[in-house]
Amino acid sequence: MIISILGIRGILLNRRNILIMSMPIESMLLAVNLNFLVFSVSLDDMMGQSFASLVPTVAAAESAIGLAIFVITFRVRGTIAVKSINCIQG
Amino acid sequence: MFNLFLAVFPEIFIINATFILLIHGVVFSTSKKDDYPPLVSNVGWLGLLSVLITLLLLAAGAPLLTIAHLFWNNFFRRDNFTYFCQILLLLSTAGTISMCFDFFEKERFDAFEFIVLILLSTCSMLLMISAYDLIAMYLAIELQSLCFYVIAASKRKSEFSTEAGLKYLILGAFSSGILLFGCSMIYGSTGATHFDQLAKILTGYEITGARSSGIFMGILFIAVGFLFKITAVPFHMWAPDIYEGSPTPVTAFLSIAPKISIFANMLRVFIVASYGGTLQQIFFFCSIASMILGALAAMAQTKVKRLLAYSSIGHVGYICIGFSCGTIEGIQSLLIGIFIYALMTIDAFAIVLALRQTRVKYIADLGALAKTNPILAMTFSITMFSYAGIPPLAGFCSKFYLFFAALGCGAYFLALVGVVTSVIGCFYYIRLVKRMFFDRPRTWILYEPMDRDKSLLLAMTSSFIILFFLYPSSLFDLTHQMALSLYL
Repeated sequence: MIISILGIRGILLNRRNILIMSMPIESMLLAVNLNFLVFSVSLDDMMGQSFASLVPTVAAAESAIGLAIFVITFRVRGTIAVKSINCIQG
Repeated sequence: MFNLFLAVFPEIFIINATFILLIHGVVFSTSKKDDYPPLVSNVGWLGLLSVLITLLLLAAGAPLLTIAHLFWNNFFRRDNFTYFCQILLLLSTAGTISMCFDFFEKERFDAFEFIVLILLSTCSMLLMISAYDLIAMYLAIELQSLCFYVIAASKRKSEFSTEAGLKYLILGAFSSGILLFGCSMIYGSTGATHFDQLAKILTGYEITGARSSGIFMGILFIAVGFLFKITAVPFHMWAPDIYEGSPTPVTAFLSIAPKISIFANMLRVFIVASYGGTLQQIFFFCSIASMILGALAAMAQTKVKRLLAYSSIGHVGYICIGFSCGTIEGIQSLLIGIFIYALMTIDAFAIVLALRQTRVKYIADLGALAKTNPILAMTFSITMFSYAGIPPLAGFCSKFYLFFAALGCGAYFLALVGVVTSVIGCFYYIRLVKRMFFDRPRTWILYEPMDRDKSLLLAMTSSFIILFFLYPSSLFDLTHQMALSLYL
């Protein structure tokens, strides 16, 4: 749970580059997964474990898409600093 | 054995269609013999056809609703509510795909994967509407969001598009993380993920006093995750940027289809699974804030797509009014609001796509549209009047019923804020109309006439908007049935 909060804080307080942005997202999903597993063990229920085996699949797909989008952003701009992502204003 | 799958026949069909179209596209567009043809229109028409066939399968499969017992107990539930929501979703997807063909030609957009991803996300939205378990809900939401991240960034050489895709990815991943966190807290505190079980555990949650902070936090986080996804106000961070930067057909999709399916899913979660006054305050606050922000921020906009983005945020605020009062009338008004919102938005985006030839981005570019394209200007003004809520158009009926439901359950402040912001919103809608009819631009822009598909779509949706008030009772009846079956 604390890891999720750290993940949220990491996303919101990122100032360097957007590659770093994908790490807190992953850590949030992983922390929630851990949550599920712990609850499933303590409640002696199987559903938590089946859910927890599906969530990292989604997390992996999402990080793959995220990296693909970072790559095309880099190709267009030449930089991945967060400060330079301000083309769309208002 | 066979009748286990009969209930999800539409989804099976559309998944198969997606994969077959993907393979077809890959095989033929990389074949040297045919000189690497760009297959996007081909795949697009086939995709449209498959959406329509799915609609036919769904509509004709109504007697199958009673057969699928196994699915009822596990992940999906199909009843009248999902039936009509899925029909609406498929109709709006078909409309939006038919808007895209001209865009593909004019912008020389070759990626046929666009259509494949749209079909995949349609399938996931169909699953999302009928999801009846937290796991199914989360997986369907993720599949839909992942497809949309990719198509939002699909114009690879444009800075705007990649930035929009990036922002949408981060926003979407964040909100999915929060949603999942809420799901895990609810699972941890109750040990159940199926909505029936949750409904039994969570009834009388407020009254019995057996409150546990885990459940409350779980429901709160799920609500926040959902509100991020429908871009309601305190959580609308980058939504206007995303809407503005994506290619226009993607913006059209983004404002119509996920909203329908996520609202349907929200109704399931908050009315079936966790009914109670727990979160009424947060929905109140979000809808008031959305209405106010949508009205005020849209006044300062100079770009058309951003204006439509803020107006859709405002409209989501109105629709959340129906959510905040948990009565059947509230749900009915929400469903009417969504139906009319979907049609109006298809109309508005078809017009924006039709005006795209000379890259109209700014509102000032619409100047003197009445002299060059009078019929298009009339259609646009009818759509804008409908958004503003001017009688006797369809938008007025939906807003009227929403405010009526809010008054009926005693949320007087909500209705008051709604009426006031509706009046404020009139200003910028009418300003658009004034620009079209009475302004003289510095340079006259000549627009090409639009193609057949968009003109058919515009004709159908604008005639619905104009003629709705003559026979609204069919829609009212339909949504009443939907709301009732939600409570059963």
